Amino acid sequence: MLKIWSMKQAQQKEETAQGPAKKKKVTAAQLRVQKDLSELALPQTMKTTFPNPDDILNFILTLTPDEGLYKSGLFTFSFAITQNFPHEPPKVKCQQKIYHPNIDLEGNVCLNILREDWKPVLNLNAVIVGLQFLFLEPNASDPLNKDAAKDLQEDRDRFRRNVKTSMGGGNVRGETFDRVMK
Amino acid sequence: MKVTFTAYHAVAEWKWDLPEDSDDTCGICRVQFEGTCAKCKYPGDDCPIMIGECTHCFHMHCISDWLHSESSQGKCPMCRQPFNQKVAEAPAAPLRTPGGVAAGS
Repeated sequence: MLKIWSMKQAQQKEETAQGPAKKKKVTAAQLRVQKDLSELALPQTMKTTFPNPDDILNFILTLTPDEGLYKSGLFTFSFAITQNFPHEPPKVKCQQKIYHPNIDLEGNVCLNILREDWKPVLNLNAVIVGLQFLFLEPNASDPLNKDAAKDLQEDRDRFRRNVKTSMGGGNVRGETFDRVMK
Repeated sequence: MKVTFTAYHAVAEWKWDLPEDSDDTCGICRVQFEGTCAKCKYPGDDCPIMIGECTHCFHMHCISDWLHSESSQGKCPMCRQPFNQKVAEAPAAPLRTPGGVAAGS
């Protein structure tokens, strides 16, 4: 008879004999991020860059919309993934000061799946698609930048003009925005 | 012709008994169910599978981590229904009471 049980005990003995992890352990979050990154299907309008190639939990996403009101802009987002991933969503921030109803002046992003609707079966691709969607369809309900949302809701043309001004580094309602033209 | 075996390697395969149509990977850690969650070293009984009433399956360690996090609100990460473990079907024969066993023997 095969002695599976004793094999298992031998495994455990071996494990305790080895003592505490001798080499740096790859964490659950790293494993999962690695899988997510390998499955990323980025369109031409998006690119990821890793400032520290050894650290896959922190990277930059560059977004260059090719349609919509934010066309020909260049936006970068920092992704910071905690060791709790995928139980916690990645922390995503826009690195430019931009005029957008769903992004505040500090760069915080209002996207349901980055907040209350996050669930661990979502992957980085879902987040990135969500970000892209925000630039194609800015959303006036539940805004982070209330002024921008008001403009979008009341007068789409005024909103369009403000987006253009802000992207050129101009001034909208007393706020100066970063120049983000490609 | 006579064949004499001098040695052989026994090979066995196992699979979890999961609901039909279920994925073959855990949606949380994205590792196959027959593999381990990211915390475990050995698959099988050490890293069991939990099946929900909604028929969604996860490594037990993965789903319990999620259910213990505040943001989960006790919901299945796939379908957002409350996650309850599916109770195994009742055994076919009713269990006999110890007294009954004694009387029968």
